[in-house]
Amino acid sequence: MTEDKSAPLSGSIMVVGGGISGLTTALEAAEVGYEVFIVEKNPYLGGRVSQLNQYFPKLCPPTCGLEINFRRIKDNPNIKFFTLAEVEKVSGEPGSYDVTVKLNPRYVNENCTSCGECADACQAELPNEFNLGMDKTKGAYLPHAMAFPARYVISPQIIGTEDAKRCQQACKYDAVDLEMQAKTIDLNVGSIVWATGWEPYDASKIDNLGFGRYPNIITNMMLERLAAPNGPTKGQILRPSDDKEPESVAFVQCAGSRDENHLPYCSYICCMASLKHATYIRARYPEAKIYIFYIDMRAPGYRYEKFYKKIKEDENVFFIKGKVAEVEQADDNNQITVVAENAVTGEKVRQTVDMVVLATGMQPTAADAKLPAGELKYTEDGFIINDAEQGGMFAAGCANKPADVVSSNQNATGMALKAIQTLVRR
Amino acid sequence: MADKYLVEPDVGFIKEIGEYGGDSLKKCFQCATCSVACPISPDNKPFPRKEMIAASWGLKDKLVGNGDVWLCHNCGDCSTLCPRGAKPGDVLSAIRMYAISHYAGFPALGKIVNDPKKLPVLFAIPAVLFLVLGLIFKIFGIHWLNFSPERVIEHGDTVGHIAHHAFFHTWLVDLIFVPTSIFVVAIFALGLKRMIADMHANALLEGKTDKENIDPKGFVQSLIKILPTIMKHSKFSECGENTERATPHMMVLFGFIGLAFVTGFFFIVLYGIGIHGPYDALVWLPVKVIAIVSGIALIIGSFLMFKNRKAKAADQMSTYRDWFLIGLVFALGATGMLSYLTRLADAAFLTYLIYYIHLMCVFVLFISLPFSKLAHLVYRTTAMAYNEYAGRK
Repeated sequence: MTEDKSAPLSGSIMVVGGGISGLTTALEAAEVGYEVFIVEKNPYLGGRVSQLNQYFPKLCPPTCGLEINFRRIKDNPNIKFFTLAEVEKVSGEPGSYDVTVKLNPRYVNENCTSCGECADACQAELPNEFNLGMDKTKGAYLPHAMAFPARYVISPQIIGTEDAKRCQQACKYDAVDLEMQAKTIDLNVGSIVWATGWEPYDASKIDNLGFGRYPNIITNMMLERLAAPNGPTKGQILRPSDDKEPESVAFVQCAGSRDENHLPYCSYICCMASLKHATYIRARYPEAKIYIFYIDMRAPGYRYEKFYKKIKEDENVFFIKGKVAEVEQADDNNQITVVAENAVTGEKVRQTVDMVVLATGMQPTAADAKLPAGELKYTEDGFIINDAEQGGMFAAGCANKPADVVSSNQNATGMALKAIQTLVRR
Repeated sequence: MADKYLVEPDVGFIKEIGEYGGDSLKKCFQCATCSVACPISPDNKPFPRKEMIAASWGLKDKLVGNGDVWLCHNCGDCSTLCPRGAKPGDVLSAIRMYAISHYAGFPALGKIVNDPKKLPVLFAIPAVLFLVLGLIFKIFGIHWLNFSPERVIEHGDTVGHIAHHAFFHTWLVDLIFVPTSIFVVAIFALGLKRMIADMHANALLEGKTDKENIDPKGFVQSLIKILPTIMKHSKFSECGENTERATPHMMVLFGFIGLAFVTGFFFIVLYGIGIHGPYDALVWLPVKVIAIVSGIALIIGSFLMFKNRKAKAADQMSTYRDWFLIGLVFALGATGMLSYLTRLADAAFLTYLIYYIHLMCVFVLFISLPFSKLAHLVYRTTAMAYNEYAGRK
């Protein structure tokens, strides 16, 4: 059964988002011979995974999986990627989309060797977004130690200042180009895969959990950065108020997830993330006590279940069935007391700890910023609904549903196939 | 906690709780946020998480005699933070309504009070009772009901003035109200006897008390100890949501206390000293002031309650039982006040008619006391006293 469509077919695929899902879709499609464009809004590829200390299933550092992907991209002439790039407009139909992509200036060209002289010369300091604002970078910076492409960025915030000139003068390779302008390019592609990923849910919206009120209440993504060797503390987990090594840490599960007042759905990864975080802390501080307050521990699948069981055997990790609904500064004003009802014993628990980690969930990027493609359909929460019938556009990874890396990659591989099917009209 | 517990789900109970405004209970997934969100829940076996699971399993026995449902003042803090919209506040309120019916007995009478369709029947009872009883006495030559009441002449005034007792004689009124009161007190006495026993059994089972038996003296001491809390409405002000409820509730409570005092006072004046109202002489002025202030407090208090409930419609379930009580209190205050004003205005027909309606309202208040939401006056007080006695933390 074939339908004749007269519009010319474009043989290329656009992948929006260069995180683990986008990279997977791009590589899977490119390696069977299709031309792929990756559009990434950050100055680097790798997305959320690159911010992690370790990731599932093998608890390896993100370099482990990302580096090989970057290698494959470099070696594959079918893939073109744009960083600091955003999709501005999409028109057309399955098989032929005209996409306008805006390329924001990096102010640093291909000559960059990542020597770092520009950063040394720059005086201005800006909050480091990669480390979730926990430290500062210079106005000229490498986003993170393993950034790909390994090229410095000059923040638009210092453009036009003396600092920018100092950066330019410091560069021995003529790589700083302060005249660089934003430009738009038009691409014609046959299908688009939206791998726009997720944002950590804004913990300051959860009034009763005290984030932003007390410095020693942090989020799970902040803990990842604290534990990462390239993070603000070089991998030491220290509590923010006084850089003390925490002797006790409480994890607040479902912080904003499974909650109609915030994210009504289960974010899927937070239980495993907290169990993983327990291993980070236990490895560094053998005496530390860990309290995990949960509604239900969700460890989907055989491997995760095994991981959960292993953590349960640790006598310094305590599981309390009951959601934390109140936090207060303890008498020693750096400590935090969390309050929950232990639903198993029916007693109210007040646990005072050095540090509290909110296991915040994931919100799809498209929840706040709708994507410039009218034909996309979303769930109430902003996840993109895949319409295989219509074809042409697909969502991969966390743009489609909350997922871990394994499921995201499986889903992303599937979406590569779906994109290809659109191209060959099947 | 008992090692083995035979779960006997009562599906009918779950349904009934739903009908009383607790139909959100099945949404609960036991995260226990509510128990922490509640500012007045104790540390030892806090509520309402455990009540929520018992309700969704239909464990009637764990709820009806559970004093904790009465400790809740329905401020709504739990419902606000509830991640599922399970509205524990509404569910506990529904359980209380169930418990009221359970301990009151007389299901037929309870149905008349709590079924909106039976509202005309409820008001018809006193309407008919007063007339029929009055007419029967007339047959025997006792004129306690006069359709052309004489004016009372005293202090040498020539035209005289309206006196409501010339229409319905106080003997007729009290012949109806005294037995009704005794009936109401008896229902409460029987209900409380069962309730206290159940509450204690439940507390022992759930480990909420270390007292083995209830010592009446200690219980009364606890009751006295919690009275200031009730009078000051301290529990209300601990709530985060709905703090504005305290004032109207206080107005209504003190309004009733004031009117109960005035009624008792003039009851003694009438039957003790033999002086009939209307008590216009200046010596009675302080008591009259109490009556008027209390009446106004009832009217304003119930009106504010109505307004607050209306405004909260999205967050808090309001059922017929809630509106019935607020409406009755308002009607009581309004008819009382109007019959007084129309008497002063010398509008004979109007004042007798309003007085008649006022008597109907008073009768409905009395008879519905053990069956309506107003029974919380007795049960919540008892539960708070018991909680104090149990020594819960």
